[in-house]
Amino acid sequence: MLDRFKVPEKDKIYVSPEKVTELTKKLFQSVGVSEEGARNSTNVLIGNDLRGVESHGVSNGLRLYLERYSSGSYNSKPVIKVLRESPTTATLDGDGAIGTEIGPMAMEMTIEKAEKHGMGAVSVTNTGHLAGCGFYPLQAVEKDMIGHCFTGSPGGQTLPTWGSEPILGTNPVAWAAPADKMPPFLFDVATTQVAANKIELTRRTGAKLLPGWIAKKDGTPILNEIIAPPKGNYHLLPFGGTRENGSHKGFGLGMVGEIMSNILSGAGPGLTSNHQGSDFFAAYSIDAFTDVKKFKENMDLLLSRIVKSKPATNYERVVYAGYLENEEFVKRSKEGIPYHKEVIEWFENYSSELGIECDLR
Amino acid sequence: MLDRFKVPDKDKIFVPVENITKVTEKILEASGVSKEGAKNSTSVLIGNDLRGVETHGVSNGLRLYVEKYTSGEYNSNPNIKIIRESSTTATIDGDMGLGAEIGPMAMEMAITKAEKYGMGAVVVSNTGHLAGCGYYPLQAVEKDMIGQAMTSGGAGLTVPTWGSEPILGTNPVAWAAPTKSMPPFLFDIATTQIASNKISLARRTGAKLLPGWITDKKGDPVLEEIEAPERNGRHGESNYHLLPFGGTRENGSHKGFGLGMVVEIMTNELSGMGPAPLLKHEGSDFFAAYSIDAFTDVNKFKQDMDDLLSRIIESKPATGYEKVVYAGYLESEEFLKRSEEGIPYHKEVIEWFENHCNEIGIDCELR
Repeated sequence: MLDRFKVPEKDKIYVSPEKVTELTKKLFQSVGVSEEGARNSTNVLIGNDLRGVESHGVSNGLRLYLERYSSGSYNSKPVIKVLRESPTTATLDGDGAIGTEIGPMAMEMTIEKAEKHGMGAVSVTNTGHLAGCGFYPLQAVEKDMIGHCFTGSPGGQTLPTWGSEPILGTNPVAWAAPADKMPPFLFDVATTQVAANKIELTRRTGAKLLPGWIAKKDGTPILNEIIAPPKGNYHLLPFGGTRENGSHKGFGLGMVGEIMSNILSGAGPGLTSNHQGSDFFAAYSIDAFTDVKKFKENMDLLLSRIVKSKPATNYERVVYAGYLENEEFVKRSKEGIPYHKEVIEWFENYSSELGIECDLR
Repeated sequence: MLDRFKVPDKDKIFVPVENITKVTEKILEASGVSKEGAKNSTSVLIGNDLRGVETHGVSNGLRLYVEKYTSGEYNSNPNIKIIRESSTTATIDGDMGLGAEIGPMAMEMAITKAEKYGMGAVVVSNTGHLAGCGYYPLQAVEKDMIGQAMTSGGAGLTVPTWGSEPILGTNPVAWAAPTKSMPPFLFDIATTQIASNKISLARRTGAKLLPGWITDKKGDPVLEEIEAPERNGRHGESNYHLLPFGGTRENGSHKGFGLGMVVEIMTNELSGMGPAPLLKHEGSDFFAAYSIDAFTDVNKFKQDMDDLLSRIIESKPATGYEKVVYAGYLESEEFLKRSEEGIPYHKEVIEWFENHCNEIGIDCELR
């Protein structure tokens, strides 16, 4: 993440991962989620916070999810059904459960199929927020596989190149691959210039949005630095920003995400069908293609070549996707996760209302 | 493609598809390629030209391939071997056959596996230029599947975000998906700001490069509009390097570089060839097919695709623009137009064909 999205020093409260994990699990269970379901969702959210992807951790997500459980838009007791299955594939109906609860299970299923047949993919429909794509491919990495994930939403946020009507969501995508000694490769991005969640995050941190990140209501890209406008007064731009700078590449990749999740699952296009979104998980067994040990050594060669390469003028170092996240993971596991004080206050107030002990500070 | 890359009207010579196909096949056969191999490669190159992707058609490619056959860098009679195979996957040693010759066969193999098991993927190592990725996923689309292709040819061209040393190639990637009545979705891009081929093309058409497209020799982004510089080598020997798409970190170049890395890993590492930036080999390719029927009802999928794609086409353009399109739409329009009117080649390209045919003593009836 760019510095502008980070929690300002004066507002940071460090919390041990064990404490925030325990409390988050309890809060999920308080709305009726099973012990296993609560553990899955908590692992995803705290995993994101540990990697420094705090736009997709408990800060923005948890309060929203709890609201949705209360309002009935998420199902805390889902009965997950297999709609279609082949040796390598499956399509699941998530019965309105949150994505973070089903996601880890769906990825497990994918990995089992890939163990037997070389590749596996599972598509999940009728499901809530996945909290980004980064967590799931890492499950495959632990089994010496390449992991991959797309998620599609109801859409209506992101403009096509040259367009003025928002069609897609932020449609994130991730791939991860194991290495031997180097931190694993983990590429995890929104296909927009900026994740919608990061715009919310700037309201808390006071950061400005850079030129070319969002568009006016008529589709014109805003080409100066601005404070995030109120919700409903802007549209997201696909990554690239303008056609001259390649926004057709961002929009095209967003479309791939839409097709691999919403359409392949049978749920239909996010914008024109009435559903909460769908997900796609895939695993590729490295052993089915080549020697695993050699693959991992080759990954080390490639990744250390990048980290050791000479930076451009004015930059300190060169990194690859997943490198900084891993640094952050190691650091935060030891020092605790720096949450914004507003987030800790929310935890304290919410727990107090429910009569749950909240021992975060 | 942006207008600046198109052949200027005054330099256009329209050639019927059959004529250019026939001559291209003959030229490849004259280099020692088998009839089937020549047919595959020609079908890829002319397919690209028909879709308007002329950066990856005969104009830049053919003369280069002929040279490489002559110098022995490409093998005109490759002995293609399967190194490893599972029910859904295979790894192929291409014996330095041209990528465009092996690619269509490898994608067929991925499709056959996906028909039986739901998904299929084939990686090809030890192979020459693939001529872009767009052609291959369309093979899967014809069988009601989602197709995907990646290739890592030409390492040592692209700097990482914040980096000054060129490491990756242009590492293109493509996906395609079928529809009912709308033109198929075909997303086919380089993971750099600009395909390296487009710089050659810009030199031919006289177009300028936009700010943030390339770096200077030191690896710093060039932030003004410039003439396309001379290309003189990879792995740091060039007087410019490519930037990952996005251009700068603030504008998301880590996304372009990350996707380029995915391509490097899914091709060179997964094939067992090892990192092209260090080992300086010619690269590898990845082909995958996903059977729609293994996930959902094919008819519903195609109807949903039509609904999504027509929603985009019918949406209101931004101020100052005429229409909104999706990846593959303009290419499909171009395909229909060029199939009928012929392919507009730059006169310099036609002259190359005529001279080369004359040298090797074959008929060249293009004009």
